[in-house]
Amino acid sequence: MVESSSRAVVGIFTYLDDALEAVKKVKESNLDYRMYSPVPRHEIEEVTYPEKSPVRTVSLIAAMTGCMCGFTLAIMCSLDWPMRTSAKNIASIPAFFVPGYEWTILFGGLGTLLAILIFCRIPTVVRAAGYDPRFSHDKFGVVVACMGSQVDAVKQQLSDSGADEVDIQDSL
Amino acid sequence: MKHIHNEHESESEAPVTYAEVNDTVLKMLEPPGTGWFLLLFTCIFFLVIGASSWFYQMWSGYGESGNSIPIGWGTYITNFVFWVGIAHSGTLISAVLYLFRAAFRQPIYRLAEAMTVFAVMTAGLFPVIHVGRPWYALWLIPYPNERALWPNFRSPLLWDVFAVSTYFTISATFFFVGLIPDIAAARDRATTKFRKALYGVTCLGWRGSHTQWKHYQAAYLIFAALATPLVVSVHSVVSWDFAMSIVPGWHATIFPPYFVAGAIFSGVAMVITLAIPLRKAFNLHRLITPVHFDAMSKLILLTSGVVSYSYITEFYTAWFSNNPFERFQFWFRPFGEYWLPFWGMTFCNCIAPQLLWIKSLRTNIAFLFVLSIIINIGMWLERFNIIFQSLTREFIPAAWGGYNFSWVEVGITVGAFGWFGMWMTLFIKFFPSVAITEIKEILPPPMRRAKHDHGQVSAVNSH
Repeated sequence: MVESSSRAVVGIFTYLDDALEAVKKVKESNLDYRMYSPVPRHEIEEVTYPEKSPVRTVSLIAAMTGCMCGFTLAIMCSLDWPMRTSAKNIASIPAFFVPGYEWTILFGGLGTLLAILIFCRIPTVVRAAGYDPRFSHDKFGVVVACMGSQVDAVKQQLSDSGADEVDIQDSL
Repeated sequence: MKHIHNEHESESEAPVTYAEVNDTVLKMLEPPGTGWFLLLFTCIFFLVIGASSWFYQMWSGYGESGNSIPIGWGTYITNFVFWVGIAHSGTLISAVLYLFRAAFRQPIYRLAEAMTVFAVMTAGLFPVIHVGRPWYALWLIPYPNERALWPNFRSPLLWDVFAVSTYFTISATFFFVGLIPDIAAARDRATTKFRKALYGVTCLGWRGSHTQWKHYQAAYLIFAALATPLVVSVHSVVSWDFAMSIVPGWHATIFPPYFVAGAIFSGVAMVITLAIPLRKAFNLHRLITPVHFDAMSKLILLTSGVVSYSYITEFYTAWFSNNPFERFQFWFRPFGEYWLPFWGMTFCNCIAPQLLWIKSLRTNIAFLFVLSIIINIGMWLERFNIIFQSLTREFIPAAWGGYNFSWVEVGITVGAFGWFGMWMTLFIKFFPSVAITEIKEILPPPMRRAKHDHGQVSAVNSH
């Protein structure tokens, strides 16, 4: 990963296609990289991370757990404090669909939040290598982790791809 | 999307850029002026009136409210349903329209989401106020206790606890998750120590790397998918508070869709009420354009139609049922002692919105502002009609009665607007109330060579 390497070469791009071309070259060189952008774009996903995100698996498991907990809570509480209404069952499943349904969504949502925190590695207080405030404004960034001997070649790659600026920083 | 001219035609010739979006939205966070403080203190003043009225009611007793036999549910429950309804369209705009990829939602959805969260916070106060002794409100929650006493899970009132608490939690989470990248943008521009700390903590260290965006997008889609059934379920459950009873005027199967449509109707009207002054105050004419007001007007027109149809259906069902109590109830509403709220509701919700068939009025900002307020008055009257009129004339004439508004209820109602307004006012000054990232998403990305192939028409740049 970027953090474990000794140097970070930071390319700052105005144009998305330039940044993507740089990423493709870096991938061909088999180097670790991180791309920053002010906005999510499908073009970036296709080049950098075409696989499916595991977030949805976490959400599904959490939602199923919520459904089970909602029904269990309603059934167990009703059995513990039985109130017979006409000839209806103490555990009235149709009436318990509401708590079951609501908790499916509640747990699913909280599970999704947890998944974001885990997979996006937030919250964090660690400074990201090569991050520039312009990346949340209107610039795209490609940060490449490399050894000292590779710095010049990587710098050339980023410049050739159309980087406005190329900076070299100590990798964290 | 059709080309729509606006009053800032000359400004809007150049396309909106990423940098302009940041600059325009983050400019809203600059130190506030006198107008903002005036608004905040007005809201706090109303809030103090509400809080004082509530404390007076607790001190002096529940008899200070107008609730009495036979009308046990009065102003407080009307306010509860009204505010839950207001909350509704936030999730519709943020989640449902996201799933449908409706580009017109982007500049207004953050405001709608903030409105949702603060409106649910307001709505949640009313059942607590209504029970009279708020310190026992925790009995609504199923928690282990020494008497092994549990709430009744077959009661719609408990369903409401589950529905509203889930709605608040998910709406607030969805709202916060949507804010994270925008807060990071605010952090990167913050100059004061306070702002740096505030945004540094609340953006959770977000940087916008490709892996973060990947998981974020996946999660956001799931949040939208989870929040969508909530839009339908919450107000359906609220409607069951009434429909599951046998009170004439309440016991109707049409209530869930009727309530959901009414909630979207009132919520979109409230978004317009809030968006127009915000747009004016912060010069957001290039981000919130007549295209957006036109789209919201069409949504109002649609939901007004559904609501009007529901009103007619209620009357038809009462007639067709041949049930004398139902028939009497629906005769009493328009022609009985309390005809004014009924006809006020009909005018505000069914007749006035029909003006939106005229295209020029759909983009007439001053007209829309007035109409949105009329609609919200109408929707408050609708809830009042359903709740109050039905209880005032139940089955036995000996049990009929009237309702006396008390100044305490009026004070608390005013206080609710102060509470809601205070949170909205604070929010627009401390956090981005227009979604930076999502507006950028509908803009064509800067490309040196290839033209972007997204194929999506930019609602922001379409005028």
